Amino acid sequence: MHINKLTAQELAAAINKKNISLEDLAAAVSCRCGAAAEKFNAFINFDPAIIDRDIIRIAGMLQNGEETSLSGVPYALADNVCTAAIKTTCASRMLASYQFPFEATAAQRLKENGALLTGKTNMDEFAMSASGENSCFGAVKNPWDGKHTAGSGAAAAVAYGAVTFALEQDRCGELRQSASYCGALGLKPTYGRVSRSGLVEFAPSLEQIGIIAMKTVDLAAVLAIISGPDPLDPTSSDADVPAYTGLLHKKAKPIKVAVPESWRETAYLEEAIKNVFITKLQEMEEDIFQVETISMPYFRYAPVTAAIISAVEAFSSLSNYDGVRFGFRETGKHLQEMYRQTRTEGFGSALKQFLTFGAMISSGKFYHDYFLKAQKMRTLIKQELEECLGEYDLVVVPTTPFRAPTLKNGYKECLLPDPAASYTAAANLAGMPALTFPILMQDETGGINTTGLHFLAKPWDEAILLQAALSLEKTNPVAFPELRR
Amino acid sequence: MSEFETVIGLEVHVELLTKTKLFCGCSTAFGTEPNTQVCPVCLALPGGALPLLNKSAVEYTIKAALALNCKVALQIAFDRKNYFYADLPKGFQISQFFYPMGTDGFVELHINGETKIIGIRQLHLEEDTGKLSHFGGIISSSYSRVDFNRAGVPLMEIVSTPDLRSAEEARLFLQKLRTILCYLGISDCKMEEGSMRCDANISLRPVGCSELGNKTELKNMNSFRSVFRGIEYEVERQRDVLLSGGSVIPETRHWDEAKGLTRAMRSKFVSADYRCFPDPNIHPNPVPQKWIEEIRNTIPELPDARYRRFIEEYSLPAYDAEVLTAVKEMADFYDSVLSCYNEPKAVSNWIMSELLGLLNEAGVEIGESKIKPQPLGKLLQMVGEHKISGKMAKIVFAEMFATGVDPAQIIEKNGLCQISDEDILSQIIGTVLSNNPKSVEDYRSGKKKALGFLVGQIMQETKGQANPQMVNALLQNKLDS
Repeated sequence: MHINKLTAQELAAAINKKNISLEDLAAAVSCRCGAAAEKFNAFINFDPAIIDRDIIRIAGMLQNGEETSLSGVPYALADNVCTAAIKTTCASRMLASYQFPFEATAAQRLKENGALLTGKTNMDEFAMSASGENSCFGAVKNPWDGKHTAGSGAAAAVAYGAVTFALEQDRCGELRQSASYCGALGLKPTYGRVSRSGLVEFAPSLEQIGIIAMKTVDLAAVLAIISGPDPLDPTSSDADVPAYTGLLHKKAKPIKVAVPESWRETAYLEEAIKNVFITKLQEMEEDIFQVETISMPYFRYAPVTAAIISAVEAFSSLSNYDGVRFGFRETGKHLQEMYRQTRTEGFGSALKQFLTFGAMISSGKFYHDYFLKAQKMRTLIKQELEECLGEYDLVVVPTTPFRAPTLKNGYKECLLPDPAASYTAAANLAGMPALTFPILMQDETGGINTTGLHFLAKPWDEAILLQAALSLEKTNPVAFPELRR
Repeated sequence: MSEFETVIGLEVHVELLTKTKLFCGCSTAFGTEPNTQVCPVCLALPGGALPLLNKSAVEYTIKAALALNCKVALQIAFDRKNYFYADLPKGFQISQFFYPMGTDGFVELHINGETKIIGIRQLHLEEDTGKLSHFGGIISSSYSRVDFNRAGVPLMEIVSTPDLRSAEEARLFLQKLRTILCYLGISDCKMEEGSMRCDANISLRPVGCSELGNKTELKNMNSFRSVFRGIEYEVERQRDVLLSGGSVIPETRHWDEAKGLTRAMRSKFVSADYRCFPDPNIHPNPVPQKWIEEIRNTIPELPDARYRRFIEEYSLPAYDAEVLTAVKEMADFYDSVLSCYNEPKAVSNWIMSELLGLLNEAGVEIGESKIKPQPLGKLLQMVGEHKISGKMAKIVFAEMFATGVDPAQIIEKNGLCQISDEDILSQIIGTVLSNNPKSVEDYRSGKKKALGFLVGQIMQETKGQANPQMVNALLQNKLDS
């Protein structure tokens, strides 16, 4: 059975009509997820019993006549999105045995809609970046080529066809970077669109739960379910949630797209990425898109701005890991020593570098020189994007300056700012929705051959991102990797 | 003696009387089993820490800001004050660093008939911490326990300007704050239970000098009395240091109530950098002017206004007005008594001597006592109309206080009513005069002392119930005729 040939809607219909039995579904999903866990280290503590338990729950729903829209659709949660069913480790020694007592709101909504939870996916510690190497459970390998990183286990599991979709946090673009590395679609919704309740906090003003999937219709179906106000998250918005799936059937209108002039000046920009981006822009012109290059002088400062703000917020938000109430604790002769030992042993080195950076730039005079300046720059970047999106429907850039980096088999240094976030961080700073669309590269240069086109839209306009993706899907069909290892 | 001027500023924390904590639905009840009023939010569990702001706590804070004559902030905004301590679950305290709810207010103190204005620098809302118990002393204990029931309870911090000039003024200021906050019904301000806490910044400077001297911050004063004693001690200590040519070390000091002295805790100004920044989970919200006006309308007549009204409307002495308005329930009680017996000074005298005496003796508050205003009004009216003597009234009052029974009933039951009937009194006087011809003779021959004896006989005959004024008048009349 090839579950990944079906859309979420088709699979749910087959399950609801009993054209596919839950036994067959369980067997196929367990097998595929087990392989993703084994081959790519995509899951943390993978256990088929989790799938079996959820299958029993879904069987109960079907028996009660609940024919839900995601009935039996397999998905995975990144390991910083809490569920009462499984531990939430954040890929950190600090929380290696931590069990949150409730469901994240997004997970709860999927559960109520019959989706099948397969497990928690691997990621950098606390999803601090998408290097794929800074997990205490080991590196995540790319399904296209195991020598390269997948960015995150969620992207690897989706690209490998183990699950139909996955939810993951996007703080400076980690979700979109990983999706791009693995040739998947990634959507970061507008800030406030999806409740953050149950998402382990890292940089609260930037992060949002997003979706990785292989098909635009699946992004639309899942977004419709997880969006909307939540009394448990005061920053969640009561903005209208359109019926995204229905919108996609409408006839496409021309879409005006802006390219920031400075896109070529990005550090570490690969020649191959540059070429494919130019080619794709030309192809888009032949489609429904009208592309124009414009001047956006602040856009390039997004990664450093986001690095400063997220480091300060993270330093503060991760102060609750003190060994007093939960999680890992190392003993000490007195309170200060207990703190020091607990945080020294419990956190990985890249995260400690990042937190130290955050502590430093928020103290004394650095507060004014770095943190306050970053806040001002954030406002400028937001204003610039608002102005641009007043005139254009979308902004387009490459998703990352390079393809999935090779794995180094060890903890990576914490890069400040992270060059992988060069194009993605602006959307988080401005709270705007963004989407990466997978592109297969034609000229094989020995590296792996996926990258992404990255679109940014005005707040609450996820619909136009989905319409753009749907249009591109016609000329760039979904491709799953054939394993070459 | 007065070569130095004392400069004191207070930082006062009060717990607000909201039913739930500042950012979660946990109860704020005092004195329950440790760690029974906690949830993922106030324990700061990963995945569960999104704060949901308690609107009543903001409302209470705005109410206090208005009552303390502060400017109310244009927006509700919260910041993170970052530091590590075992009683602080998140590793930061959510507070109002950049936009305190109220600024630039003042309080009036009445000192020996003079009015002194003490500035309120700011007033803001924040979360309380948990509570640590150290086993075997704070330094020598081998382990500590933490109770998080208090963590996240709304706490209002009020900072005075350094306008206080003595321990007595500091105590009066604190009492005035308590009075105002209790009038508003937003805190019970019990220092003994920790719902009101006070730190004092104390320094001395040569008289006439405008620069401030080095200050110490005094903590751990758990009653109004210890605020007074602690500051008195610290002022004397600093004076001794300065007089002996030394300089005051800027530091935090701990008041030791048992030993009656202050001790250094830790050096100040090398203390933590709190790295305050706006809390990214709580987006700023404007404060609608309409809401402020709605809150203003719920503020009752405040102690200072009432104090002035009592003086102007009832012609009470300042002292009486101060005492009667110190507790809202007492002032309400006084007003109610007047509404049925409008003799302000008589009622004030009775409350200040008789009622306060019995309340103190019984150790109860006016609100908890069995005495109600109307019955007291009736009793005082009977005294005023000479239906009952003052002496009798005290006996009746004691019983009213103990049982809550109506004065008329007590008087009737015990036959305590004053005899003001002229016929009855004339009859008794006639009998006494005819039984004591010698005394009558003595009086008429000029020995005026005999009159006292005869009055005594009449009172004895009437078991003390005869109206003394009438007895005097009737007796004179009979003897002189």
